[in-house]
Amino acid sequence: MSELIVPGQMISDRPTRQPSTYVEDGKTYSAVVAIKNVEGKIVPLQGPYSPVEGDFVVGVVTNVKFAGYEVALHTPYRAFLSSRELRDTFELGDIISAEIISVDEVKSMMLDNPRCLRGGMLAEFSPVKIPRLIGKKNSMLELIRGKTGCELAIGKNGYVWIGPGKTALAFSTIMKVEREAHISGLTNRIEEYLSKNGK
Amino acid sequence: MDIINELKRESVKKLLEKNERLDGRALDEYRRIEVHTKVFENSEGSAHVRIGKTQVLGAVKFGIAAPFADKPDEGVLSVGAELAPLGSFMFEPGPPSPSSIELARVTDRGIRSAEIIDTKSFFLEAGKALALYLDIYVIDNDGNLFDAASLAGMAALLNTKMPKVEEGKIIPGEYTGQLPVAKKAVSCTFAKIGEKFLLDPSLDEMRGMDTRLTVSTLPDCVCAMQKGEWGALKEKEIVELIELSFKKGEELRSLI
Amino acid sequence: MGKPKLLNDDGKRLDGRALDELRPLKIAARVLNDANGSAYVHWGKNRVLAGVYGPRECIPKHNSSPYAAQIKCRYNMAPFCSLEEHGRSGPSRRSVELSKVIRETFENVIIAGAYPKTQIDIYIEILQSDGGTRCAAITAAAVALADAGIPLKDMVSAVAVGKVEGKISLDLSKEEDNFGQSDMPIAFASRNGDVLLLQMDGQLTKEEIAQGLQMARNACVKISALQAEALRTAYDGAKNGEKQLDLSI
Repeated sequence: MSELIVPGQMISDRPTRQPSTYVEDGKTYSAVVAIKNVEGKIVPLQGPYSPVEGDFVVGVVTNVKFAGYEVALHTPYRAFLSSRELRDTFELGDIISAEIISVDEVKSMMLDNPRCLRGGMLAEFSPVKIPRLIGKKNSMLELIRGKTGCELAIGKNGYVWIGPGKTALAFSTIMKVEREAHISGLTNRIEEYLSKNGK
Repeated sequence: MDIINELKRESVKKLLEKNERLDGRALDEYRRIEVHTKVFENSEGSAHVRIGKTQVLGAVKFGIAAPFADKPDEGVLSVGAELAPLGSFMFEPGPPSPSSIELARVTDRGIRSAEIIDTKSFFLEAGKALALYLDIYVIDNDGNLFDAASLAGMAALLNTKMPKVEEGKIIPGEYTGQLPVAKKAVSCTFAKIGEKFLLDPSLDEMRGMDTRLTVSTLPDCVCAMQKGEWGALKEKEIVELIELSFKKGEELRSLI
Repeated sequence: MGKPKLLNDDGKRLDGRALDELRPLKIAARVLNDANGSAYVHWGKNRVLAGVYGPRECIPKHNSSPYAAQIKCRYNMAPFCSLEEHGRSGPSRRSVELSKVIRETFENVIIAGAYPKTQIDIYIEILQSDGGTRCAAITAAAVALADAGIPLKDMVSAVAVGKVEGKISLDLSKEEDNFGQSDMPIAFASRNGDVLLLQMDGQLTKEEIAQGLQMARNACVKISALQAEALRTAYDGAKNGEKQLDLSI
């Protein structure tokens, strides 16, 4: 593994702007446990999800209101899907994917472009490791989908919907990706795991 | 949160139709169990038990207390349980919750009614006896706290040293041999979801269960039971679960 | 029990340490599964577990701030932690005070503005006590916060200094704390050396305090290296991402 960075460690003697860092006296420091990627950007190894406009998310409808739906996104913040322009209606407990169209100053979100995800199950996943679950050009996602027959909807918020198929295998594979996301050779190990357990 | 529980229940139930569990176990299979004993120097007995991701500590301390009025020639055995708030997103600091009190009382009954600790031997003089405090500390909750607690409690008792007593006072750090423990009492917990039974339910499985049954056994008899949750059991099912508890109980006894 | 002689004729302490020497200190990160971050510290005979949850929804809601996460802290002693007696459960006046000063310590370094309307919970359990539990608690909690991915301006480490047989000494053991002349726990921000916790009892001169602060600061450089090493080990491939508490370290 490349060098581990701890909070308070200087990562540049100049001010730079990137997430999970802060600038003091013209120098940039990491605020989190992280590793440096090839571009010199720091990649946090752990941490909560912070909503960003445009993010694809997966959530659960937890309240049906006159003007729309409250959606739980596994974050402490509220997310609301307005029903004004929607053709579909949703029910309590529906798993949906959606796009964040706005985030206000207390991080409450408005959602749009919802899609109902039917059957299957919901898994919780560490938000900072989501890129590893998707893989380069969707490679990890395709690998798991191919070997398990399960559709996957991977929300940046850390909810992952696993569609009908070899659900238990898909679930245990995803949990393995989460545990071992920071250890090199991940794709090979996951391939091996899926062939061994996928009979 | 109820809605998320309902989703968990649905996904667990759907897998159960194929007799599958999320972690790939058979329905009557325990997760990996590890028992470490003598983990604390300050306690007379201690253990750290892991069942899958569930982690529970058991620790024994002795004190001096007055015997209960109805048993003036016996020492006191007291079992406490704490759901330490660092152990689960659901545990809250504050006074003991009904769940932690149930856990303490079920663990207590499993040990007390097994009659494996001779509290008469704790008697010192009129109005004075040794008191054995067994604390169960849940530090990581991934379900089935009952079995983890009974294993941790039992493993701690089996490794307990007797304190040295002089002039009616315990001498800290000095001991006089082992606490005699006659037999090993262990518990097996099942979750009922729909018509199926799962041994050693994980937290996700427990969040989706209708009924829970904990059966504490000695090698030759049942010594405590506790049914939990809103669902119901059939007589035949209870008998079957007891049989399975004897069988699985042997596996657990071999670990401590 | 009378006061034992706390320094030997060769200037070494009862446990053989030099005046500026720490007790054996082991730190492990990522030891609990459900907590968002966790750490275990074994320091002398102190055994301390810290777990962090959050940022999560602030309860009750009316206590939430639109500007920042609320930091909450609970320092708790397990009823079986001491050698002498079985303790009561529930907070004592002492543990309420320690919870407060530990919370204030971390309020300095947590970048709470990143998570409005939420709370971050720091839970500390003293599983075994041996003098200096609050310093062990702070050292563990800092690692647990980092492990949880909570943004921190800096790591924090803590140690106590005190006066034993007239000599300023580092990292007091339980006997030295009980029978010594003074006790001064201190927490430092690791990078810039800011003092974030300072308590003292007993009597010290101005010069002794300056000497003690210097001694503690030097020790905290070592402690913060062990904290970083614990995080490094926890994220190392060898552990395969498993989170397990090993009380035998």
